[in-house]
Amino acid sequence: MRLLSIALSACIALVAAIPALAAAPGGPAPGFTITDTAGKPVSLADYRGKYVVLEWTNPECPFVQKHYVSRNMQGLQAEWGAKEVVWLSVNSTNANHSEFKSGDEMANWMRAQGGSPRATLIDGTSAAGRAYGAKTTPHMFVVDPAGKLIYNGAIDDRRSSNPADTKGANNYVRAALTEATAGKPVTVASTAPYGCSVKY
Amino acid sequence: MTPPSPLFASAFRALVVAAVVLLAPTAFAGSVKTEHVEAELVAARTALVPGEPLTVALRLSMEKGWHTYWRNPGDSGLPTTLAWNLPAGVEAGPIAWPAPHALPVGPLVNFGYDGEVLLLVDVTPARTLPVGNALVLKARADWLVCKELCIPEGADLTLTLPVENTSLADARWSAPIAAARSALPRPLAGWRATADGKGQTIEMKLVPPSGAADPGALHFFPFEESKIEPSRPQEVSRDGGAFVLRLPVSFNLTGDFGRVAGVLTAANGFSDGIRAATLDIALTGAIAAGPKPALEPAPALNLAPQAADDGLSLALAMVFAFVGGIVLNLMPCVFPVLSLKVLGFATHHDSRATLHKEAFAFAAGVVLTFVVLGLALAALRAAGEQLGWGFQLQSPAVVAVLAALFFVLALNLSGVFEFGQLTPSALAGFTARNRTVDAFASGVLAVVIASPCTAPFMGAALGYALAGSTAVMLVVFVALGIGMAVPYVTLALLPGWRRRLPRPGPWLLRLKELLAFPLYATVIWLAWVLGAQRDNDAVIHLLLALLCLGFALWTWRIVRTGGARPWGIAGIAALVAAVVLAWPLFRADADATAVAPPGYAPTAAGTQWQPYTPAVVAELTASGRAVFVDFTAAWCVTCQVNKRLVLNAADVRSAFARKNVALVRADWTRRDPDITRALTALGRTGVPVYVLYRPGREPLLLPEVLLRQTVQDALASL
Repeated sequence: MRLLSIALSACIALVAAIPALAAAPGGPAPGFTITDTAGKPVSLADYRGKYVVLEWTNPECPFVQKHYVSRNMQGLQAEWGAKEVVWLSVNSTNANHSEFKSGDEMANWMRAQGGSPRATLIDGTSAAGRAYGAKTTPHMFVVDPAGKLIYNGAIDDRRSSNPADTKGANNYVRAALTEATAGKPVTVASTAPYGCSVKY
Repeated sequence: MTPPSPLFASAFRALVVAAVVLLAPTAFAGSVKTEHVEAELVAARTALVPGEPLTVALRLSMEKGWHTYWRNPGDSGLPTTLAWNLPAGVEAGPIAWPAPHALPVGPLVNFGYDGEVLLLVDVTPARTLPVGNALVLKARADWLVCKELCIPEGADLTLTLPVENTSLADARWSAPIAAARSALPRPLAGWRATADGKGQTIEMKLVPPSGAADPGALHFFPFEESKIEPSRPQEVSRDGGAFVLRLPVSFNLTGDFGRVAGVLTAANGFSDGIRAATLDIALTGAIAAGPKPALEPAPALNLAPQAADDGLSLALAMVFAFVGGIVLNLMPCVFPVLSLKVLGFATHHDSRATLHKEAFAFAAGVVLTFVVLGLALAALRAAGEQLGWGFQLQSPAVVAVLAALFFVLALNLSGVFEFGQLTPSALAGFTARNRTVDAFASGVLAVVIASPCTAPFMGAALGYALAGSTAVMLVVFVALGIGMAVPYVTLALLPGWRRRLPRPGPWLLRLKELLAFPLYATVIWLAWVLGAQRDNDAVIHLLLALLCLGFALWTWRIVRTGGARPWGIAGIAALVAAVVLAWPLFRADADATAVAPPGYAPTAAGTQWQPYTPAVVAELTASGRAVFVDFTAAWCVTCQVNKRLVLNAADVRSAFARKNVALVRADWTRRDPDITRALTALGRTGVPVYVLYRPGREPLLLPEVLLRQTVQDALASL
């Protein structure tokens, strides 16, 4: 009887711990289903078997503008898109917030920037943002083909809003993808993200 | 003839001070104004002395609602940086950061500053620096300033200082810089701190020296990012005499975490009065990355109670308003005017028809004024102003006018002048014939002076009324007005009792003069309210204006009863002087929206009431303590009575201390949009409001008429 209750407590503890492990590097990447700029639902599960990069973005944020004005982000999207990595740009601004951008507005903006993500997602209820614990824009996550989160954090190590700082910065996303696609473990799996706050 | 105007004296004094400040040798610097921040470099002393360090500060004055960041910005943002370009022989140290505030941004938390901040830097000129020249210190300051939007800004700043053998304290900046320096976080003397990692939390144990008082709400701000999760609560508990603070490990744990280093703030201060301490202690035990922060759209704490007001229907609101109106007659605010009405009864022994007309005119005055005030309030709120019930008394101008009005009425009762003498005979005749007009006017007056007092039942009814449509609001306000007028109208309509009153005689004169005294007391109260809103000088201006007004009325009586012309001239001069003296009070309305009333300090020594800010309640409840919030205002007599009789009572205070309840005072004497928003969230529009926030449970709203037993019972529920 005692053994049973101990086993039961252990199971309960394990189950309770799983949500806590969500979105922690090394843990399973939380699933989501949100709509893209055309209104079509997109799920993380759709891309099982591929590397996925999740880029939290907000056109109004000077830190996002830093990476787009310098064409750093577009370069990354193109470079890894060509290598079959699925790049998803997510805007989790609350639909009631003044900075909210509709599907059309985000699509126009991304087109004007020359960006090439696989999809731009409108997360008006901020559900995906909350599921991942996204704090800033930009905040980058990399998911491996098995659905495991292998990177969570800043895009690079130059914490500023100056577009000139993207050159020569150590780009954590590129490093993580380079290592993972070569079969090596990711050395820097977690960094403190920098940017403006996500507008929940 | 007229008293020398204090206005002249203060103006002259100001001119002299200005001249001295401008002509004295001081450091020269320019301030740069960006879109949301004014930045400048200021120095504590007037010159660089070779070999002596000088404290220089980067002053950032931020627009209201915008904030800049600490060395660890928290969940998002970027710390302010200062890059120096110094002449040879001068070196600058790093920024000494003042203690940060936790600034909530939706569900995320930033660490930084709002309002104005002085970031201190020690500048050391070399001992060999030649004396006699002026040196230009240049710096590039870059910061991120955010409200909803984030804007990176920067400025090229210069500070020119002469190099001399001695220096004086800078007239303007020496004191603020010294104050900032003394408030800098410093190591805790006498306290012992340990940090033990327990998986996803770190237990920081603080052992106070013997005799140390309760530090109040504690919050730890780590120096490094991604060590402690900024938006998760830090629970405080007691372990014998020690305080245990549970710090949540960061979800994005990055790098080594061997030491816990940062700033610990205490709302009530540590042993020697310092409010912020630096800590750098080794971390024992084992830690793991913490859980994801709960980024819910609303703050984790539900600050709006599930009050019974939610179930208030229109019918019930009307009943509440009616009863509240009746009870309003008993509130301390209304009593002076009530005494005037009683006088009306005793003096006018005439036909029932006239009396009925007057009674209904009074009622009409009351109801109409309530409706007008309500419409004005609704219109202003619709236009975006954060106002609540009683807003008319948040303006120094209104308080001054009311004080003058009551003073004139009191002088009339005291016999200094009569209304009949004051006005030309035609108007006097009109007023005598139309006592209904007079009755109507006194109804208006009664509401204006009574409205800031929120009687029981009235608070809930008002909240319902102002949240509904205009029609709903009108109906509830009419019910309130009827309730307030009902006692007087009933007395006027009741037959018989007035016949038993004796005929007018000397007793009546004496009664009239006696009833002047409650009115003088009201004038004194209004002067005190003005003092709480502004300062002592404003009170003196008001009292002198009233003095001139009284003198003018007295001279007018002399002139009307055949006195010589010079008296009339004196009277007019006095009237002009009164207006001139009171003028600053009217123009001061712009200042009436400041947040912290300077002259209104807590009465008893050792009270631990913290001022209300939107973040403080959430911070305190997050640390596991119950919070009692007293929404009050200087002009709210009910609030003052409750404060002195109940909240300051020894047994109530000891009950608060025993249950470790944090005490927060939301002072609404002047317009404060944050407090107005908090009141609206509670379904209230006026003060007093007493709320007990209990962690993990619904907040408890206490009634407006506070009894000690009520508070004890509420605390017993903790």
